[in-house]
Amino acid sequence: MTPRISARAWDALTSLKLTLVCLALLMVLVVACTLAQVELGTFGAVSVYIRSFLVWWPVPGTAAKLPVFPGGGLVGLVLTLNLVAAQAKRMELSWRKTGLWIVHAGLILLFVGEFVTGAFQVETQLSIEEGQTLSYVESPRRMELALVDTTDPAHDEVYGIPESRLAASKVIEVAGTPISIRVKGFFQNAELTRREQGQGASPADRGVGADVGVRQLPPVSGDNEIDLRAAYVEPIANGRSYGTWLVSNGLGAPQSFLHEGRTWTLSMRRRREYLAYTLRLKQFRHDRYPGTDIPKNFSSLVQIDNPARGEQRDVLISMNQPLRYGGKAFYQASFGKNDTLSVLQVVENPGWLLPYVSCILVGAGLILHFMLALFRSLKRTGALVTR
Amino acid sequence: MRTSTQRAITVQLLVVVLASVLFLAAACGREEITHARVKKAPETSAGQMSPTAMAREKVPAPPAPSNGGELQWTLPKGWTETAGSGMRYATLKPAVPGRIDVSVIVLPGPAGGELANVNRWRGQIGLGPIDEQALATARTALETRAGTFSVYDFSSEGDNKSRLVAGLGVVEGSTWFVKMLGDAGPVAAARTDFTRFLQSLRRDAAN
Repeated sequence: MTPRISARAWDALTSLKLTLVCLALLMVLVVACTLAQVELGTFGAVSVYIRSFLVWWPVPGTAAKLPVFPGGGLVGLVLTLNLVAAQAKRMELSWRKTGLWIVHAGLILLFVGEFVTGAFQVETQLSIEEGQTLSYVESPRRMELALVDTTDPAHDEVYGIPESRLAASKVIEVAGTPISIRVKGFFQNAELTRREQGQGASPADRGVGADVGVRQLPPVSGDNEIDLRAAYVEPIANGRSYGTWLVSNGLGAPQSFLHEGRTWTLSMRRRREYLAYTLRLKQFRHDRYPGTDIPKNFSSLVQIDNPARGEQRDVLISMNQPLRYGGKAFYQASFGKNDTLSVLQVVENPGWLLPYVSCILVGAGLILHFMLALFRSLKRTGALVTR
Repeated sequence: MRTSTQRAITVQLLVVVLASVLFLAAACGREEITHARVKKAPETSAGQMSPTAMAREKVPAPPAPSNGGELQWTLPKGWTETAGSGMRYATLKPAVPGRIDVSVIVLPGPAGGELANVNRWRGQIGLGPIDEQALATARTALETRAGTFSVYDFSSEGDNKSRLVAGLGVVEGSTWFVKMLGDAGPVAAARTDFTRFLQSLRRDAAN
């Protein structure tokens, strides 16, 4: 890179025009994302427009997709680079500009925080009934093929194969087991029906799948809808096939086979994350204003039991008082089953503090800059009066 | 001028490196197979999913046999019985130690046919499917007070053998499946009692 080209690139990167273009693009993205929520739902629209580097347009009638607009990730990255570069170029290192340095650092931290959230935040749910004890949270949208060794009467060995692996792989080796899974078909969304005569033989020759027909459907997009995943899988152990099974979150109980005296179950279910502690729902409350059905408050009284820490205590989770524990925040999200089921939204975000810190920095920087300017102004005024 | 250009390039590089690290961290989020050792606990299926999902994912249990089709039996000495759940009509526990399970399942109609069901059982212990001819060879007819039941006895391959003994019969249009499955040792020990149990099958006295 010659100094001339470098200087021009540096000028472009630090220009205020670039800042304005990025801000305009962000405004367009926000409007487009808001409108797209009608068709894609909140999660889908945010994924397509905001948490992406490019907005892709599926060419009708083909499987091809074309990039048609910069996504929120790309615009945010350019804006961050622009901000950092502009600060390095224009801002002088002096006490006079301390406030502005802090403001810019806060803004940069805000962008970084959004990248950290987009990359590392994990949202799950905990649906728990009164009196029930659970040691796992579940993804609201993603599924997994659960391969479970249920032989031990006291414990289960649970292996969760993410659906992304089912969609992408032909054969999946499950480390720690003698079993590999051959994927013979995967459906992002499907309808399960009773297989009628004349439909031909099912790919599944084991379990309930032999009598079940599978029809592929386009993925659903609404926030309150969930795809019915289905897959044909063939467990193979020590070169021996255990037949082809249909697994789907639309089927009921897990299906099982025996290998070398050990019982293994197969099931498609929401992707689980097991916790090092258990949560028991002692009571769910749905308070209403007297004489009306207008909700006043929702709250869940849960008991945390963490043997590793020797900890057992009750916690009340309510609308604006989440439980923060073990790096996760449990928010009261929904309820059901005549107010005996509580649904908690569980958010794990290593960067959750960054927006707070950046807001404090921006606020403190603005106050400091104002105070310094005021001080200088008063000093000048005082000098004039003295003269 | 030279110093300021160098400083600018340095800052540029630092920023690009930082951005690249963030970008790669976001892009390399390949999901891995998870493993957990989980203590067994009674779970209510309803509590594991959201109300929206419950409505869609609920799969009804098969209907009970129509009037006149229910069976009764006499438990061998030491056997225990618990009420069925889901697909099961009843679950029995033989009086032998070790891994062994006896289930009674009833489905309307031929339920896929005898060959398909036998091959499904064989698949559960890792044996390949057989044809009609081999099916006839493997079949043993057992007379019960509810009619003739076809009985099959299969053992798996491998060092730790599993064994399956199962009988199926059609009563009033419904197909009854009685299956004993477990480690080869306990199944062999309970084999005689299982045959007695099958022989005790009879139509419901109320019909």
